[in-house]
Amino acid sequence: MEVIIMKELLEGNEKLAEENRKYFKQRHLLAVNLMGAPGAGKTTLISAIAKELKDIPVGVIEGDISSSIDAENLEKQGLRSSQINTCGECHLDARVIRDGADQIDMHDGIVFIENVGNLICPAEFDLGESVRLLAASVPEGDDKPFKYVPMFSYVDVVALTKCDLKEAVGFDSDNFVKGLRAVSEAPVFEVSLKKNEKAAGIDTLARFLREKYEQM
Amino acid sequence: MHELPVVLDIIRVMDEEAEKNKIKKINKISLVIGELSSIIDESVQMYFEVAAKGHPCEGADLVFEHRPAMLRCQSCGKKFPHTRDFQCPDCGGDSILIKGTGREFYILSFDGQ
Repeated sequence: MEVIIMKELLEGNEKLAEENRKYFKQRHLLAVNLMGAPGAGKTTLISAIAKELKDIPVGVIEGDISSSIDAENLEKQGLRSSQINTCGECHLDARVIRDGADQIDMHDGIVFIENVGNLICPAEFDLGESVRLLAASVPEGDDKPFKYVPMFSYVDVVALTKCDLKEAVGFDSDNFVKGLRAVSEAPVFEVSLKKNEKAAGIDTLARFLREKYEQM
Repeated sequence: MHELPVVLDIIRVMDEEAEKNKIKKINKISLVIGELSSIIDESVQMYFEVAAKGHPCEGADLVFEHRPAMLRCQSCGKKFPHTRDFQCPDCGGDSILIKGTGREFYILSFDGQ
């Protein structure tokens, strides 16, 4: 006999994500799911935003397939951090986030969840965040919104990083925005965080997150 | 890339359904997969063959039904399945993604005895 069930898959993750959302809300934490390709500048972005938001406590749940390099570097800067090693898994899911959140044990502030560097799989797993931030770097190319539709259509805000390299790699900003607008209304913040040079654009992105935090 | 958790979810749901419907053997499972859900049929199939061993759905045929992401032309309003260049096939205008389309991901039905 054939049985029609129309049963959504990964529903277990969705339920846990809702629990996480309640947990973050009760603790007055703005959870930001930061996604992007490996090397897009996710950790550098967190570090720079935390420096801008001096009056707001910032914590980090670091997701990596292995190592704790990023968490250690951010801890040196004074951020509360926890490390999740996915042991090869290509994304974070809602289940592991709660463990990471319990470890940093924060009340009030902004918690960045730095997802595994990957432009595909993290767009499938709601973690219970309030803001989905994508770090897209200039060297990845201006055609990426056309090619990675699941990710670019999933996020609320885009940080276009390494903008100082636009000319060097022939990045066409108009084409990037055209592709993004085809799949998303997410605002774009252009940033440049080159070592030993003054950071550019990070203040407006930090202000955007501050407003989200204050609106909670 | 993350088909293993997906496959384990399929097996879990099938275990529950087999018990509920007093079914001993599941022969066929029909899945609906949206284009933007990043799920590869072959990977699901590969993991399923290994992970379903000993479960009522062991050896079941997996049938994949694909659903496209849909676009809407901003010039003429035509709705059409996602194309790589986002150009309207009728008027050549630029199009935008219709939110929510192509993200389907569920078990439609199963067949058992």
